[in-house]
Amino acid sequence: MGKRPPVVLLSSSSDEDDGGDRRAASRGPSARRARAPAVPALAHAPSGSRKKPRRGSSAERGRRRATGPAPSGYLKTEFDMLSEDFSECLNDLGMPGSIRQTKELWVDKYKPLSLADLAVHKKKVEDVKKWLEEKLKAPKGTFGGWTLVLTGQAGVGKSATVKAIAAELRVEICEWTTPVPTLWTEHMHANSGLRYVSKLEEFENFIEKIRKYSLLSPSSIGSQRNLTIILIDDIPVTSGKASFARLGKCLTDLVQSTQLPTVISLTQYHKSESNDTTLWNSEELESLLQGAGAHKIAFNPVTINSIKKNLIKICKQEGSDLTEELVHQIATSSGGDIRHAIMSLQYYCLDPRRLNSALATTAILPGLKGHDIVRGQDSDGRSSVIASPCGRDETLTLFHALGKFLHNKREPYGDVVEVDSFPVKEKLRRNPLKMDVPEKILSQAHGKVRTVADFLYENVLDFIDDDAIDDAWTVVSYLSEADCLLAGSPIASAHCMVNESYESESMTQLIAASVAARGVLFGNAHVSSSRWHTIRSPGVWQIDWSFRFRKDQILRERYDCSCTSGSRNFCDIVTEFKPFERWIGPLNDMPRSNSLHHKVEDGSILIDRFGTEGSSSEEDEDAIEDW
Amino acid sequence: MLWVDKYRPKTLDKVTVHDQVAQNLRKLVKMENKTWKIDTGTRTLELELVMLSSAHHVEMNPSDAGFQDRYVVQEVIKEMAKNRPIDAKGKRAFKVLVLNEVDKLSREAQHSLRRTMEKYSASCRLILCCNSSSKVTEAVRSRCLNVRVNAPSEDQIVQVLEFIGKKENLVLPAGFAARIATQSNRNLRRAILFFETCKVQQYPFTSNQVAPPLDWEQYVCEIAADIMKEQSPKRLYAVRQKFYELLVNCIPPQSILKKLLAELLKKLDSDLKHEICHWAAHYEHKMRLGSKAIFHLEAFVAKFMSIYKEFLVSTFG
Repeated sequence: MGKRPPVVLLSSSSDEDDGGDRRAASRGPSARRARAPAVPALAHAPSGSRKKPRRGSSAERGRRRATGPAPSGYLKTEFDMLSEDFSECLNDLGMPGSIRQTKELWVDKYKPLSLADLAVHKKKVEDVKKWLEEKLKAPKGTFGGWTLVLTGQAGVGKSATVKAIAAELRVEICEWTTPVPTLWTEHMHANSGLRYVSKLEEFENFIEKIRKYSLLSPSSIGSQRNLTIILIDDIPVTSGKASFARLGKCLTDLVQSTQLPTVISLTQYHKSESNDTTLWNSEELESLLQGAGAHKIAFNPVTINSIKKNLIKICKQEGSDLTEELVHQIATSSGGDIRHAIMSLQYYCLDPRRLNSALATTAILPGLKGHDIVRGQDSDGRSSVIASPCGRDETLTLFHALGKFLHNKREPYGDVVEVDSFPVKEKLRRNPLKMDVPEKILSQAHGKVRTVADFLYENVLDFIDDDAIDDAWTVVSYLSEADCLLAGSPIASAHCMVNESYESESMTQLIAASVAARGVLFGNAHVSSSRWHTIRSPGVWQIDWSFRFRKDQILRERYDCSCTSGSRNFCDIVTEFKPFERWIGPLNDMPRSNSLHHKVEDGSILIDRFGTEGSSSEEDEDAIEDW
Repeated sequence: MLWVDKYRPKTLDKVTVHDQVAQNLRKLVKMENKTWKIDTGTRTLELELVMLSSAHHVEMNPSDAGFQDRYVVQEVIKEMAKNRPIDAKGKRAFKVLVLNEVDKLSREAQHSLRRTMEKYSASCRLILCCNSSSKVTEAVRSRCLNVRVNAPSEDQIVQVLEFIGKKENLVLPAGFAARIATQSNRNLRRAILFFETCKVQQYPFTSNQVAPPLDWEQYVCEIAADIMKEQSPKRLYAVRQKFYELLVNCIPPQSILKKLLAELLKKLDSDLKHEICHWAAHYEHKMRLGSKAIFHLEAFVAKFMSIYKEFLVSTFG
């Protein structure tokens, strides 16, 4: 980079980028902006105006001239060729099984145009339609009650329903399309007069515009009915309380002041899927909007039959002959996500060979694992755990997984000893599990191993029969082993930051999780009769926290009080000096706000006080039912 | 000021309990060319710091730093070695560094201690104190002069208590000091603290006065009684809550386990003692390997309950 003249001037005749309207530019050329970081050397223009290399037609390339020396010019053409190759590859994706060439995804191609096409349950569609019709006919001038909130998982057809209804009612949809955001880093990099607008700010601007528009519209159009729906599909992600409050205020304002039918669609995330940053999204916003007076309609996952019907219809239109079995499999594994189902259908139609292999694997799998997999579709009706090459990754909530482990459902019959398995002592035998392999459940729940172990430890005793103290020991001893594994050897813990041992570290984690889960399953041989249990959040966390707090306090006191106690060992202080302090009086002459003597009653008060600030006290409310 | 601090001997001459050891150390101080390791046996003793008659010494508990202890060890020794004091005769003197709780240092810290020890031995003298030398690595041990300090016998404790009583102008009833000495379990510090407690509670002493027991130890006794009374998962859960309270008050889990074992052994049939001890040792080891002490404490209790219940059923049907 240093040797070769780094500048390539790409001048194009249409100087849209140099124009004053950078705001517009920031929204418009999304694809090109996104590509810019890939070729940083080419992207610098001497005048300071940013030129992006564009993938494109030969005509455009003709207008371009490279003023740089030959090698970099060569590089550029190479890049163009590459990008063309790439776009061709992309187009290939749309080619279904060499039957017909399509340039688009089937999801777009076969998106529902009429109400009949919708895979959503009829009643829900009716609900939405009725609401919209009502609102469109309603007189203007009233405030509130103009908002509809649609909730549901991803891909259950929330937006599609609204669009289809709008098409049927011949209503115009005014949609909030997410602008291509200028990332902060990009802004810093470009540094060329692009004004930085955060996504939240843009959203606020949009809302502001809608509100003004809806206020204006009755007067401008007059008596003529204004048939417009506002659809807000994509609510900006906020992080932190402050920005969430801003978003909330903005939305509440909208809900309360809008005079056009406004539909807000909220995607509900699976609980375990969402990290802390997105956790607010579905629940808090939902309640907030409802509080502001929005009407809520919840969408359920699309039924398997309905998905199947649609898939078969698409198959017919595409002229591909997928077997009934595979369609069924795609439908079941999609978990009610029709978008995903269509996507995977298209993927399978790309290459006929893949069909066979997919069928082959599904044919083999049941043979391999015997009844395990078949039983895997357990009692709660979510039969989504079939091992299939298509299908979205199924997730379980942490509590769901914990419940599985703790309840320890097993097959009732005892004659399961297979011929090939080596003989096991009677007392070590367990009936087969009524669930997946524990490791799989763990990976689906993707909680941290430490968390899983702590939760199991906290709750497992409730699930053990009252007489079975032996079982309790087995379980706890496995958990203790898991703890040792998690802590790792003392040497390894020091190196855990070094990436070299990172892999082995995570391996230990997996093993520890497996030991904990299987230990609980194995050890709990006499499950107590099932009843309602509440899953408690681990008390260990609070204890750890207040332990550290106290230790710090004691150590601090030791150092800032007197030289005599500075020499004492920590454990001597706690075990010997502190107790005596109760009788003899404070060790040092310093006045102290709270007496720190150890007393049984005081201990519980301490715990209580810290408990209110504890990290996860709200999780206490999470309860699970027997299933 | 506590009596423990007040009557701490300030020079080697004043050491009363381990006068033999003190005499030897005096000779050593004159030669002044060694690294000493004071291995204080199972109990920490009065002796700890007495030999530090020199003016320039630094004392620290590196194990308080937790997993970062090795940096503390390295940096402090380096720092001290850099600026050596000069004694009255213009000769370069030594700095003395006292490290407490060496046995609680992590392995890494002990290794780095070994290296720094060699490197700076010319300018720095180290005194390492520990409760048990088995947890100090062989490499460190071999570089030190080991001085073992026994726990004081009850007679010695009685002597010390009487000495303090005389200084404080107290009248000790007959047998009073001996009783405290027994209660202290040959721990001199504890004995003096007990003594002072008694003084605060009631003076003049009555002949049958007993010092109140340590509250955490009493609490452990309660736990032991709970365990003996009922063996069920529910009781196990109740015991867990009690352990939590102890842990929150920073009682080291090792001490809890030790005390609990002692309490349980008192009431146990001798057939079971061996097995219980085995499991206690097992979980003490696990506790050191693991990070959550409560898991292992509870595992021990569960094992005990399991064994004890089986025993009860087989004996009494």
